[in-house]
Amino acid sequence: MTAMELKYIRNFCIIAHIDHGKSTLADRLLEFTGTVDKRQMKEQVLDDMELERARGITIKARSVAMKYTYKGQEYELNLIDTPGHVDFHYEVSRSFSCCEGALLLVDAFQGVEAQTVANAYAAMEHDLLIVPVINKIDLLHARPDEVLVEMEQSLAIDPADVVRASAKSGIGIEELLSAVIERIPPPTGDVDAPLQAMIFDSHYDSFRGAITYVRMMTGQVRLGQKIRMLRSNKTYEVVELGQFVPQRKPCTVLHAGQVGYLICNIKSLDEVHIGETVGDIREGVSTPLPGYQQPKRMVYCGLYPSDGQDFDELRDALNKLSINDPSFEFQPESSEALGFGFRCGFLGLLHMEIVQQRLEQESDIDLVQTAPNVTYEVLTRSGETIDIHRPQEVPDAGDIEEFRQPIVKVNLVLPTEYIGAAMKLCQDRRGSLTKTEYLSPTRAMLSYHLPLAEVIYDLHDKLKSVTRGFGTMDYEVIGYEPADLVRLDMLVNGNKVDALAIICDRRDADRRGRAVVKKLKAEIERHMFEIAVQAAIGSRVIARETVPAMRKNVTAKCYGGDITRKRKLWAKQREGKKRMKSIGQVDIPQKAFMAVLETGETK
Amino acid sequence: MALAPTSAYVHVPFCRHRCGYCNFTVSVSADSQAEMYLLALQQELNCIDDIYPVDTLFFGGGTPTHLTVAQLEQLFQTVYERFPPRADAEITIEANPEDIDPNVCNVLKEWGVNRVSLGVQSFSPNKLRQLERYHTAATVDRAVKNLRGFCDNLSLDLIFGAPQETVPEWQRDVESALLRDPQHLSTYGLTYERGTTFWGRRLRGDLPTNDESMERQMFETSIDMLQLRGWNHYEVSNFSQPGFLCRHNQVYWRGEEYFAVGPGAARYVNTQRETNHRSTSTYIKRILSGVSAVQESERLSESERLRERIVLRLRMMEGIPIAKFESQFDCQLATVLGSTLEEFQRRGWWEICDGHLRLTREGLMISDALWPYVLAPQT
Repeated sequence: MTAMELKYIRNFCIIAHIDHGKSTLADRLLEFTGTVDKRQMKEQVLDDMELERARGITIKARSVAMKYTYKGQEYELNLIDTPGHVDFHYEVSRSFSCCEGALLLVDAFQGVEAQTVANAYAAMEHDLLIVPVINKIDLLHARPDEVLVEMEQSLAIDPADVVRASAKSGIGIEELLSAVIERIPPPTGDVDAPLQAMIFDSHYDSFRGAITYVRMMTGQVRLGQKIRMLRSNKTYEVVELGQFVPQRKPCTVLHAGQVGYLICNIKSLDEVHIGETVGDIREGVSTPLPGYQQPKRMVYCGLYPSDGQDFDELRDALNKLSINDPSFEFQPESSEALGFGFRCGFLGLLHMEIVQQRLEQESDIDLVQTAPNVTYEVLTRSGETIDIHRPQEVPDAGDIEEFRQPIVKVNLVLPTEYIGAAMKLCQDRRGSLTKTEYLSPTRAMLSYHLPLAEVIYDLHDKLKSVTRGFGTMDYEVIGYEPADLVRLDMLVNGNKVDALAIICDRRDADRRGRAVVKKLKAEIERHMFEIAVQAAIGSRVIARETVPAMRKNVTAKCYGGDITRKRKLWAKQREGKKRMKSIGQVDIPQKAFMAVLETGETK
Repeated sequence: MALAPTSAYVHVPFCRHRCGYCNFTVSVSADSQAEMYLLALQQELNCIDDIYPVDTLFFGGGTPTHLTVAQLEQLFQTVYERFPPRADAEITIEANPEDIDPNVCNVLKEWGVNRVSLGVQSFSPNKLRQLERYHTAATVDRAVKNLRGFCDNLSLDLIFGAPQETVPEWQRDVESALLRDPQHLSTYGLTYERGTTFWGRRLRGDLPTNDESMERQMFETSIDMLQLRGWNHYEVSNFSQPGFLCRHNQVYWRGEEYFAVGPGAARYVNTQRETNHRSTSTYIKRILSGVSAVQESERLSESERLRERIVLRLRMMEGIPIAKFESQFDCQLATVLGSTLEEFQRRGWWEICDGHLRLTREGLMISDALWPYVLAPQT
């Protein structure tokens, strides 16, 4: 292969707000180019995780090589599919480094949304050529002309460049493919230079070990070749290489500009670092690529087996999950209330939810999850900066010089009539407005700086509800700022329950404390004795509720036919009590550990 | 081999209609099914390996008196062949006040029935309507009068805690019951069971329910009223005039064994607990095609039997005669109950009094919360 032939390769990705038709467009491209024939077509071909299909979202990146003949010349089009959700930003930017262009997909009815803007900006920052597409133009309520204005206003896109398509009905696909070939520049890279390839993702196959997804930057790699991972400085032999079409299709050589996979007998994904550079076996010959920044875990929660017996099983399950998801981390911790478990770090709330669902699907462990919290920073009096992953780690007030919390920039895109409601929502959460932009006469984008803690719990849900589902949001962490934060402890019958502690703004403490104890009162069932539920800052109790003792709990009929059933029922309750984790003798049900998310706002 | 049981229960699964709160094994429509049922019952009884004379026999339901006179005769005939009552046997039948006419009474008398448990539930027209019962106080009086002709051991069933019922209303019901001069009373707090229309209505929120405190007040009121009049509160829901405790039910509560036949009937024979299929038609089909009607069965370990027995006996107000119990079952309550024995005493849920371990009033009220600790060994 010569450098000449690089011009017949196009590497691109598709970026869009969730539900704007990214996966459908990918399906249609695969079908139109004959990569997957119609018979084998199923929806969301590229999403093979069950969860991805179930939720209609893409979680892991994929790539697929399509052959397409245009004006008598065969082209290789590599589509890199990426997750769209904000939690997976870092995956998106990884995919960007593999591409020269991006299809920016906008729904002809929904118009420009928060993630459209975020993803488009990110693609521009990576110098990708953007091919704008209005999708779903055949929808009954499509309003393509207004959407064109929104695209022009928000992203400075020339309406003349926009391809009109309907991925669902196959409209405009041919035009789109010619735009890909005509507009997106071919990859550059010297085929004869030393090998330099970037690993942009990987997955684990129980038969073949780690399968690494690579973008070839320079040089080439052949079957049987020895290679070196430049960062870990480990060497391997390439036992299989090829491209995804979309299943693995082995070949004998990959050269600069191509996207494909390598199998090198790597036993564990621990050895594969995303962003790693694959280079020549000889030391010093290839130069390492800049690599990616490690994603920062912004949300932490505790995961505990309901039954302490399952601790080892949970550890195995977490290990297995982290193999395919290096962005998720966990370490053992123990809680007085919940026993032994793990503190787990996630990229965001969706990521957390997904990990939890996968744990439940893929293993049979009953889990207790503690309320999520963000990572805080404390500057101690001794000048040390420590990361706080859980409220229990907060030092005594006297030792804190400065308490800092993560601040995010949030973009909200919404119909103008809901601006007031959305602004109130953000102001209540101590946000500061940085920008208001009108995308069109009827749609606006608000930018806020908000504490991440205020965003992750329920801002998205609240936004949806105050905008009747029309508002969308996206956020990125911009840094840490000092704040007046306190640790709020919860006491059940005088005992501090560590897993119920929260960190909140001092000004919110009274309201939060009252709301949480009220919620706890509702969640904790009546016991044989009275239970006091209190919220306290240090030794000062700020809120209290009482769960009264049960008054009557007695089976009226226990005759011959009732005995077996009743005995089983009673015996099971004892089992249930063990499961629910007794604190002293108070059983705090699993749901109660989420009670601390109560904000005390009027609904 | 332990001695064979000397008690038997016969389930008769027919009723005039299904009440909203009832999840018992009953059929309401097919009267023609009764003939098939009697045939199946005969067959089930034939399969019992021997003839067992009994000290107590209990015909429950459903409403046994819903059968025709001829069917009732056939029922007694069939059952007595296998379980001939001994001379002083207690023979109980459950009856719906609406069914009790002189003809029925003649049959009952003829077959030696000497105890009748009448499903009165209430004397208040309002409450009866709520409970979906179609008789009136007058119906009850007529039935009582008819029954008095041959039966000097009459028990009335009452329900408290009906939707919207108040404490004074409940007091009036107890007073009304006493006016009929029964020997025995059973008072049941209304419960909501899966599979009843009340359950569904409560879930939908269209059945107003009383709060726990009021139910407790009703329960305590009836206990106090009856004890004041010299009645013996001998089990959670059962009261008797001196000497009129139900012998049959005490067999259950002492953890002793008993035979049982009919759909949904539960027996305890040779340390094994078995329950027949609850559906009358399945029961008939199975039995008549020569298949066992047993749907569930379990054999308890020695320790499970012991713990179950402790629970059942504690539900009797007399409690457990410690020395006798320990020697009879070769155990130490202190060992079996572990720290719970002392903990519950300290908290005032049970007490040791006159050599008996028994529930306090407070313990009785919340007793269902205690049983899990008795049934499962302490960890």
